[in-house]
Amino acid sequence: MASITKDGDKDRKKKRIIKTESSSPDVKKSRVEPSKDGAALFYAEETEVDTRDPQKDLDLFEGASSVIKNAVTDIQAMRVSGKMNNAVLDEKRIQATLQFVTLKKMNRLSHFRCRKVREATNEAKQRIDQYHLQLQNLLYEAMHLQKEINKCLEFKSKDEEIELVPVEQFYKEAPEDISKPKITENDDHQLTLSRLDWELEQRQRLSKKLKEVSCSKDEILKEIDTKQEYLDSLQPKLNSILEATKPVQSYLNMPYDETREQHQTALHLPHPLYVLYMQSSAYKDACDKYLKVTIEGDIHSAKTLDMSVQEIEEDSDSDNEEQEKKTRRRKTTEDRRSDKKQRVLRKHPLTVAMEISCKEGSKLLLTFSYLLQLEIITVQVKVIPSCLDAVHNSISGGDLLLPDSILNELYPGDHGNNTPNPANQYELQRMGLHEFSDYVSQVGRPYQWTQWLGGLQFLGDGNPVTVRSSFSSAYMQQTIKQLRKRLKARLALLHQLATLERNSIPVSSCLIDMFPVKVLSRLVSWKRSTYEDFCSLDYTKNITEGDMVSETDIFFTAVMERGSAKLTCQVVVGADYPTVPPLFVVSISWQVQRNATNDVHIKELEEEVNVHYTELIKPKTRDNLLSNQLQRLLMCFDVYLETESHDLSGPVEIPKDKVFTRVARGPDRKKPYKYIPDLGIFTHR
Amino acid sequence: MQEQSLQSRQLYHMTIFTQCFSPCGKYIAAANNYGQIAIFSLVSALSPEANESSRLPIYCFKGCKEGAIYCLTSTDTFLISAGEGDICAWKWSDIHNKAPKIIWSLSLPKKGVFTNPEVNSMVVDKQEQATRLLAGGGDNDIHIWNMENGQLENSLQGHEDYVHSICLKNNGRECVSASEDGTVRIWDARSSSEAVHILEPHKTPMCGRPEMGKWVGCVAMDHGDDWLICGGGPKLSTWHLRSLTPTATFDTPGSCQNFVMYHEENVISGGMKPCVNHWYVNGDLKSQVPTTSSSIYNIAVNTVLDQLRVLSVVGNSCKIDVCTNFGYKAFSLKFVPS
Repeated sequence: MASITKDGDKDRKKKRIIKTESSSPDVKKSRVEPSKDGAALFYAEETEVDTRDPQKDLDLFEGASSVIKNAVTDIQAMRVSGKMNNAVLDEKRIQATLQFVTLKKMNRLSHFRCRKVREATNEAKQRIDQYHLQLQNLLYEAMHLQKEINKCLEFKSKDEEIELVPVEQFYKEAPEDISKPKITENDDHQLTLSRLDWELEQRQRLSKKLKEVSCSKDEILKEIDTKQEYLDSLQPKLNSILEATKPVQSYLNMPYDETREQHQTALHLPHPLYVLYMQSSAYKDACDKYLKVTIEGDIHSAKTLDMSVQEIEEDSDSDNEEQEKKTRRRKTTEDRRSDKKQRVLRKHPLTVAMEISCKEGSKLLLTFSYLLQLEIITVQVKVIPSCLDAVHNSISGGDLLLPDSILNELYPGDHGNNTPNPANQYELQRMGLHEFSDYVSQVGRPYQWTQWLGGLQFLGDGNPVTVRSSFSSAYMQQTIKQLRKRLKARLALLHQLATLERNSIPVSSCLIDMFPVKVLSRLVSWKRSTYEDFCSLDYTKNITEGDMVSETDIFFTAVMERGSAKLTCQVVVGADYPTVPPLFVVSISWQVQRNATNDVHIKELEEEVNVHYTELIKPKTRDNLLSNQLQRLLMCFDVYLETESHDLSGPVEIPKDKVFTRVARGPDRKKPYKYIPDLGIFTHR
Repeated sequence: MQEQSLQSRQLYHMTIFTQCFSPCGKYIAAANNYGQIAIFSLVSALSPEANESSRLPIYCFKGCKEGAIYCLTSTDTFLISAGEGDICAWKWSDIHNKAPKIIWSLSLPKKGVFTNPEVNSMVVDKQEQATRLLAGGGDNDIHIWNMENGQLENSLQGHEDYVHSICLKNNGRECVSASEDGTVRIWDARSSSEAVHILEPHKTPMCGRPEMGKWVGCVAMDHGDDWLICGGGPKLSTWHLRSLTPTATFDTPGSCQNFVMYHEENVISGGMKPCVNHWYVNGDLKSQVPTTSSSIYNIAVNTVLDQLRVLSVVGNSCKIDVCTNFGYKAFSLKFVPS
């Protein structure tokens, strides 16, 4: 029984479960029905529901209920009324209670109906829900698709962003297999595809190129980098090389470093000295390797001077004085005046030093200074001859190399005694100073050519000084040449003088054949003389009056002898020897005193030596002109003596030794002073 | 500077050997040892407003290519110059126009290789038939040319040394020459034979000065052709031509006379002293006029124009002394070649 009941329980549980699934909460009642038959019966009412008309049931219900109600009311009425009729009452009650059965059935039916209806509703609802869900799904999908379609429609493919080559160009450029004109002409899509193809190909090509190029660019950049590093590393190397070349430079005499420093220093030079420095450096570099130009002096004071110059220019003299009073102890008026005087003659601290050397080693050192107040350039000279013997040997020429006079008259009339700047006169006067020539030893000589080299040109009276470098360059070559010539000439002169003092005439070797081998007269003395001595001679009056000699010339006296005849000759050597040949004034004493004023032949002799000297000038022998002329004089003295003897009856002191074509010629009975080297005879000019 | 000094030296050593007045008498031509001929205007030099520049040459030209000009002489149209080169003739009109050119020239006949004889003295002999030029110089001969056709008519040979000076005698028929060889020779100009007379002043005790040499530098004839005066190494002396002996001497101690001339009744001479000597014909010194040049080579008197009657002296300087009154030097012209 138990197992059956269990089965029945299970069935019931099953049923319960089933029921609760589809029916009302009226669970307790169901427990009572246990069997199969009961199951069929159980479900009979359910099926009954389907057959019964609900309206009828409703009427049943109402009927039952109304019976009940009537019963009740009747009862009630009876109870109230008091008339209690128990039979009627019981009947009524039984009827009422019977009605309850109907009610209960109806209730059950209604429940069943409700349940069925609910189930149907639920089913329908579910069906509807399902459809609704489906609809929603479909709608959603539709929407989704719509969205997708929209998206698709909106989709701008990247190919539209590509700027394609215009169609014509595309057809022109693209190769046949890509452009496929026949297909693409008609079909836009194909056209676009082809174009895209072509674009792609081109871009691929270009990107390849780009890669290559950027590769190469990278390579090049790398190269540049390495080279840059190399260059950077060079700088210290170069510096070290420069350092190393310094000794080589000095050995080879190419001092580039020094010149650069010099140029730096040059910036502090006063303008005229700067011009001089630059022009002479330029000349030196271009033409002249025997010239050296350097800047010397105190560069610091030059720098301070540069700065203070601007202040000084603004202050007036009196301001300066006041300042001095305040800053220092009060100076006496004399001190102040001597200060002012000093200032007038003050030089700029930097000087330009020029060294002109000759091939055989002698040097001329010129130091150019600039006088700030007076605005002129002065020069101090020093001579360094290559061999000092000649200098010291010559007594008569002792002063020829003196710094004061060696550059006298480098240009005609230029003695360097006075300042070339006319304004200086007033300055010096104002300061109570003497003539400039007194201070020459202190400050140097202001030659005209030194002003020219510095580009200074002093025009007229009171005109402002102009500094022109064109001026300097115009005179530079000439002046340097003159300076060198002067040095050589002076040294040559000294040599000659030294030899002459030993009574031998140093004739130039190339001119030896211009004179006969046998010259019987000889030089016996050579001495220095003076301008006053020269002028004191009576036969020199014509010459001094004719302005043929000047005080600055150098005078000598030479004596030549032959037998009892003595020739005394005054030799006047100009400062500019040998540009201006020496002048000879002759007097012969032989039985009687004769000279140019009383003997025509002596004047002829002078003419022979003084005027016809160009034959004695060969290219390299110009400096030796003095000796050559002296030899000619000696030779002519011989001729004079040999042709002068008129009295052939008595003994002739000086016999005729030389060959003459004719002894006399012309109204003045000229003597045959001219020697013809080829034939060895004397003839007239 | 060199140029200047050379120029001043050349000026100092200039010797003016000869001078000549123009046919009109207004100009002096002077020639120097550089072969230059300068023309001075007497009129402007003598005018009251004269200054330095009027005493310089108005025109200067080279008369001889190379060498000196020793003598100048003039005809009515030509100025004839001679010296170291050929004898050249210039037209006065060309010279006044400052464009002189050689119209004709004569050269001494060549005798050898080494000789290029100079011409020291020239004389023009103007006759009706022909005008002749006589010249003597370094080749020791006197040559006579016919000026119209330029033919060398005659050469008088005989001197042993060069001829210093010649002058004419007897209206051109005879010529007298003074030479370095110490002789004065008188020639017959038309014949070419030897000299008719030879005088040797140096051999006479009266005139000879052995210490001065034997050469005779100057000779002149007086107007009457009776007297001859010559000088040089030997003293300046007058000779009587008929007797051919010296009659008077003119004492110039220590000085040889280079030039002598008769002027009016007096003798004017100059030599190696810086003065012009005026003498009386008997040998007495009338006056001595100092000159600039220390030796005198030529003295000339302008006889053409009376108002320009001056005496001019040239010598071994660049100055020509001009005397208006023969007693003193008035001024000097300066031969400065421009």
